[in-house]
Amino acid sequence: MDHIPIAQGDEVAIDKARRGDPDAFRVLVERHARPVFRLAFRMTGNEIDAEDVVQETFLKAWKQIGKFDGRATFGTWLHRICANCALDHIRARKRKQDLQVVPRAESNGHGDEPLARVATEAPSPERLALSSQVTAILGPALGELSEMERAAFVLRHYEGLGIEEISAALGVQPGAAKHSVFRAVQKLRRALEPVMNLR
Amino acid sequence: MNHLSEEDLILIYYGEPGASEGAHAHLAECGHCKAAADSLARTLDLCNEWSAPAPATGFERSVWARLAPQMDSKRRSWSIPRGWIAVAATVVLLVGAFLLGRGSRAPQPTSSSQSIMAGLSDEARARILEISLADHLDRAGMLLTEISNAGDAGSLDFAMERSRAQDLVEEGRLMRQTLARQGASPTLTFLDETERFLLEVANAPDSVSPREVRELQQRISSGSLLFKVRIIESNLRTQGQKL
Repeated sequence: MDHIPIAQGDEVAIDKARRGDPDAFRVLVERHARPVFRLAFRMTGNEIDAEDVVQETFLKAWKQIGKFDGRATFGTWLHRICANCALDHIRARKRKQDLQVVPRAESNGHGDEPLARVATEAPSPERLALSSQVTAILGPALGELSEMERAAFVLRHYEGLGIEEISAALGVQPGAAKHSVFRAVQKLRRALEPVMNLR
Repeated sequence: MNHLSEEDLILIYYGEPGASEGAHAHLAECGHCKAAADSLARTLDLCNEWSAPAPATGFERSVWARLAPQMDSKRRSWSIPRGWIAVAATVVLLVGAFLLGRGSRAPQPTSSSQSIMAGLSDEARARILEISLADHLDRAGMLLTEISNAGDAGSLDFAMERSRAQDLVEEGRLMRQTLARQGASPTLTFLDETERFLLEVANAPDSVSPREVRELQQRISSGSLLFKVRIIESNLRTQGQKL
């Protein structure tokens, strides 16, 4: 495997990977796996699904790297693929759940929800109480967002993508992406209102 | 100027363009809107406490270990969803079984689908039809998304997309046949519209030029086809959940 210095941008590795060099692609995997995992986790809400999405993302990227045109950064391009893989994954998961007809009431409202993982570095009792309330109230609300609302919110809020980029990533019109963000924020605000009143 | 809408405040919070004219100036002067903006910011800032866990040490190596064996062949084509044909076949079975349950003679479901569906209520069969329709639109949406996102560097191998479109056309006809028995509906009309596009893809050559791809992309965009697919799919799933 040719040495590709860490300090070098992705261009050299991309160029080699385009020509079918798997070792060069490995460099890209090692550089981007963690950010892709973060996005996959936020969209799917659990680590197991997120790892599957990471896998699907890189496999798709390998197959499509010839189409990467360099207009966006490689990381942005990967995130678009990841967002779509995560959406497909969530839909497939929902289909399974629909067919199993699992009553929603069986969920304890914590375990599978993303906000069950609210970070609490050096948690004070107050912080723990707040996190607990956020988890209990907002967790189910996040689960109630449509796939598109959740995806648009995660890409806007956590990934910092603009509306135009979100619309390109999700394959919808900019207006639809914008309104998905609006609806998500409005629903999350309503859900968090009781917690905010206590602060 | 009226007070700012929540949409304006959200756009301003995220630094997005598109807020109403004069919104920033109004916000600087209006105490009411400033308070609303602060309230929104506090809520959204609270969401920042949700951070993704750090993957275990060696995560990159494990990703690569799983990925490498699947990278044995590399072709310049769009992705092929695994199990595509199996999923399509399942949908056909389910729709066939739905028809059976409604007393139809066509198409012919297999004995296994008959036994699966035997004894289901009309409501349950209706739910299965809605899920099948939503799945069909999901697959159509994936194909449309890939075409929409295709680059324009050189000719593209289109054989697999053609094949997928052909499967979708066949599958869609079964869906339309089933829906038609229930009378005209917006979903039926939309399936007609989708089929016209899918037929174009199904009849495209094996290799398409960038110009042809752009024309397909233009068709998708001008009719808001992908957006409609997603909306109707989402509505079908919501209806299915209510049953």
